[in-house]
Amino acid sequence: MNKTKDMPTPAPQGKVTESQKTRLPRLTPAVDIYESDNAFQLLADLPGVVRENISINVEKGKLSLSATRSGVSSKEANWQEFADVEYERIFSVPQTIEVDRIEAQFSDGVLNLHLPKSAAAQPRKISIATA
Amino acid sequence: MLTRWNEIEKMVGAMDLFRSHFDKALWRENTPCYVRGDGYDKTQSLPTNVTDTGDSLVLLAEVPGVKKEDLSININGTSLEIGGSRKNTLPEGFKANRKERMERSFSRRFTLPYEVDADSIEASLNNGILRLILPKSEAARPKQITVH
Repeated sequence: MNKTKDMPTPAPQGKVTESQKTRLPRLTPAVDIYESDNAFQLLADLPGVVRENISINVEKGKLSLSATRSGVSSKEANWQEFADVEYERIFSVPQTIEVDRIEAQFSDGVLNLHLPKSAAAQPRKISIATA
Repeated sequence: MLTRWNEIEKMVGAMDLFRSHFDKALWRENTPCYVRGDGYDKTQSLPTNVTDTGDSLVLLAEVPGVKKEDLSININGTSLEIGGSRKNTLPEGFKANRKERMERSFSRRFTLPYEVDADSIEASLNNGILRLILPKSEAARPKQITVH
């Protein structure tokens, strides 16, 4: 008698390779993106993840966020609505972001990314010189 | 074994079972992980995992972005209610480009299958996961019966 109610796993397409069998199900985290004149702010919900398991990479104009959550699934669980998953999401970032000054904070299961825009990209008022 | 599973299922509610069947049918790899409840209803349900360890009931719930002060856990006999809210404060000077993390207030009530020892309930909140350990009362614990 199967006691556990598992989270649905996405059906693998085509032949199931060994790595697909052992891979954790992938989940897209919910994000909020805010913008101001000099920066972007990205907030992502990653409940149950520990800071060490988060990896953020920026390469060729793409910001990829991935994090693994473990410790919430259990074979003995009687009722399971959320599971050990791999969170993953990729964003295109405009050229105007200063990659070296990106800051990240993580608290209460929420990742907060601060992406400053480069000075050239900030709006500037152009004044007309008197002739 | 069969009865225990049924008790837990009753506890979490038949309605949730129905909803989770729907989630399975509509599952897509790219769906943000919580699009539960409808957009109009601010009170959304709380994803929960329950394990019966024999001596206690362990309950895990996903509450990202919720602080201890915003959580309320109440136990009344065999009725456990977990509620809370999360504010999404817009940072100063920023405008929203994309909002998927809805500001939410949630509330969920469980009817526990046995009496628990309310004085020794432990609750901890880490990285957005709430863990509740509900020790069963003496009468509800499994016992060995020796035959003389």
